[in-house]
Amino acid sequence: MQQAIQAEKKKFRRWTSNDWVLFGMAFLSVIFLAVFSYATLYGLVLAFKGGDGYLDIMRAINEAPWVGLDNFKAFVTDPDFKEIMFNTLGLNVLQLLINFPCPIIFAVLTAELLSNRFKKTVQTVTFFPHFISWAVFGGIFISLLDFDTGIFNTLFYKMGLVREKVDILGDPQYFWGIIIITSLIKGMGWGSIIYVAAIAAIPQELYEAAKIDGANRWHKIRYITVPSIAPTITLFFILSISGILNNGIEHLWVFQNTNNLERSEVLDTYIYKYGFPHWRYSYATAIGLMKSVVSLILLLIGNTTCKKVSGKGIY
Amino acid sequence: MKRFDLDKWIAPDNKTYPIVKKAMILYIAVAFIGFAFFAYVSHVYIDEGTAAMYSALKTLFVVFCVLAVPAVAMIAFIIATDVKRKRAYYSQFNRSKLNKHVHVFDVINTILMALFCILCVYPIIYVLAGSFNQGADYTIGGVYFLPRLFTFENFKVVLENTAMWRSYLITIGRTVIGVVTALLFTATVAYAMSRPNLKCKKAFYWVNIFTMFFSGGLVPSFLIINALGLFDSFLVYIIPGLYSVYNMIVIQSGFKSISNEIHDSAMIDGAGEFRIFWQIYMPLNKPVLATVVLWLAVGHWNSYFDTMIYTKSDNLQSLQYFLLKAIQTSTMTEGMPPELMERISPKTISYAAIIISIIPVLMFFPLIRKNFASGIMIGSLKG
Repeated sequence: MQQAIQAEKKKFRRWTSNDWVLFGMAFLSVIFLAVFSYATLYGLVLAFKGGDGYLDIMRAINEAPWVGLDNFKAFVTDPDFKEIMFNTLGLNVLQLLINFPCPIIFAVLTAELLSNRFKKTVQTVTFFPHFISWAVFGGIFISLLDFDTGIFNTLFYKMGLVREKVDILGDPQYFWGIIIITSLIKGMGWGSIIYVAAIAAIPQELYEAAKIDGANRWHKIRYITVPSIAPTITLFFILSISGILNNGIEHLWVFQNTNNLERSEVLDTYIYKYGFPHWRYSYATAIGLMKSVVSLILLLIGNTTCKKVSGKGIY
Repeated sequence: MKRFDLDKWIAPDNKTYPIVKKAMILYIAVAFIGFAFFAYVSHVYIDEGTAAMYSALKTLFVVFCVLAVPAVAMIAFIIATDVKRKRAYYSQFNRSKLNKHVHVFDVINTILMALFCILCVYPIIYVLAGSFNQGADYTIGGVYFLPRLFTFENFKVVLENTAMWRSYLITIGRTVIGVVTALLFTATVAYAMSRPNLKCKKAFYWVNIFTMFFSGGLVPSFLIINALGLFDSFLVYIIPGLYSVYNMIVIQSGFKSISNEIHDSAMIDGAGEFRIFWQIYMPLNKPVLATVVLWLAVGHWNSYFDTMIYTKSDNLQSLQYFLLKAIQTSTMTEGMPPELMERISPKTISYAAIIISIIPVLMFFPLIRKNFASGIMIGSLKG
């Protein structure tokens, strides 16, 4: 008996050729991640070195002296620090408040449309901007808002909707508005597909039963649609919380110019600018490291809170 | 000779009619758009430089006038047939289609949706109008829906620009190669991760998951790219994008939904893991793979920041980066003769470049719309 179990265990341990094939296939990911993710963690030592000013980044990491936490201190005591953090957080909180619920509302509203053909048309048309890059889409908006030829300063001005010509792109106070509105136009249709799919998966019998019980449209949305898609909403909410320090740099970069820096400079653009055109590698790495750590903490907090509130997290 | 049977033709279950109708509608659309376009174009003032074009436009206008005549007949035919078909269809049930109640909410909802659709499409119309307008005239402003002084000059200049075509090729190349390699790589890993008999599965799982939530940041990635010698080479567009954990999880959830019996029976027939993956699981997982291909392709086509960070030579510029530069600065009009600047301007030229750059997207868009809906369902909900 003992021997039989031993033999069984041994058989269990032996790897067949198929096991090796599977292991090899999965190991590809480890190789890739070792190079492109885990090796970058080694690059984080730059944050604790005085590698600023080296033209060659390899020399910066090998030869620069250790400076401890000086790079972090330099950023926190920087006169722009408050402004950058304010912009980063402000923009993201606004996005979370406006751009997160809007696709959900949009999905619910499209589901309420009577004509199926119109519903499909709306979906197709609103997906379209997603397939255009920020370089192009932003570029178009730059000319729409242009001071001399843009539609705001010519057509709306003539119609009397705008009292005087405004330099929308050059004025810092409009920057957040531009970002929010453009990302709504570009992302609302696309962002809604996941919720549309979730709504489509709700069994129709629920609605029919509710109708018999005398529910009106609002009741159906409130008591059937929203609770049914709540798990999907939770999942994406946690993911967007963890991204609260990430601004879409491809988006902001198009609209940023020297006049609106006061409101448009965020962590991502700051890291890019200091990292590359200024060769302050260590400084940029330190800021990036702070950002990653805070994002990770936010993700963990968001996940535990959601687990406590709704009983569901992402892992 | 068989006579044309009208009753059969208008019967609601006639299968050929919808196809014929679609073809007719397409013809009508082409004829009328062409008619309207050339009617408009051949009556606006065109300066001396485009006088030759003017006569060509006039002939085209006449051609479309002729084409529009059968289109009118077709419209009458379609309307008449549709009315008959509908009457035949509803006579079966003896009730009207319009027994749905329409509330105020529906009206407002529909209007809102229509407005948002216009908002999504209008930027493209604005650019289209600008790209056909003369440069000096455009700078006065006021071109919102239709070009005021019509010209093809902007497109001519853009099409003759070799830098634009090079960046176009780079972008097409990186999209095709990048999508194919990334899909193969990610699907291979995803297949292994989806198998319950994978050894050390937990370890693989955590190695992957950790990278989703913590990254070194911009400068360390740049360091790695540099250390690997990928800086300023075409491969920098391909290799770092080979694998993404998120896509792997999506594809893996698609593989998991395939029943295990298929795997077992293939195993008994003597197929190895790799063969099962390639010949059975990949074809069965097509909807999810199509979705991931879409994500990858859109990502490759639209990204410009990697060009900014990882390359420095001009002949590696991606299309989007080229467009960004064309929009923000006036690189494309440098060294142009001043008499040409009458008809073109940096703005209108960049519009023409934008229009040319989104043609591939427009071509693939209907395909995307048809195929991705099912994939999204499987991919996102189970993931």
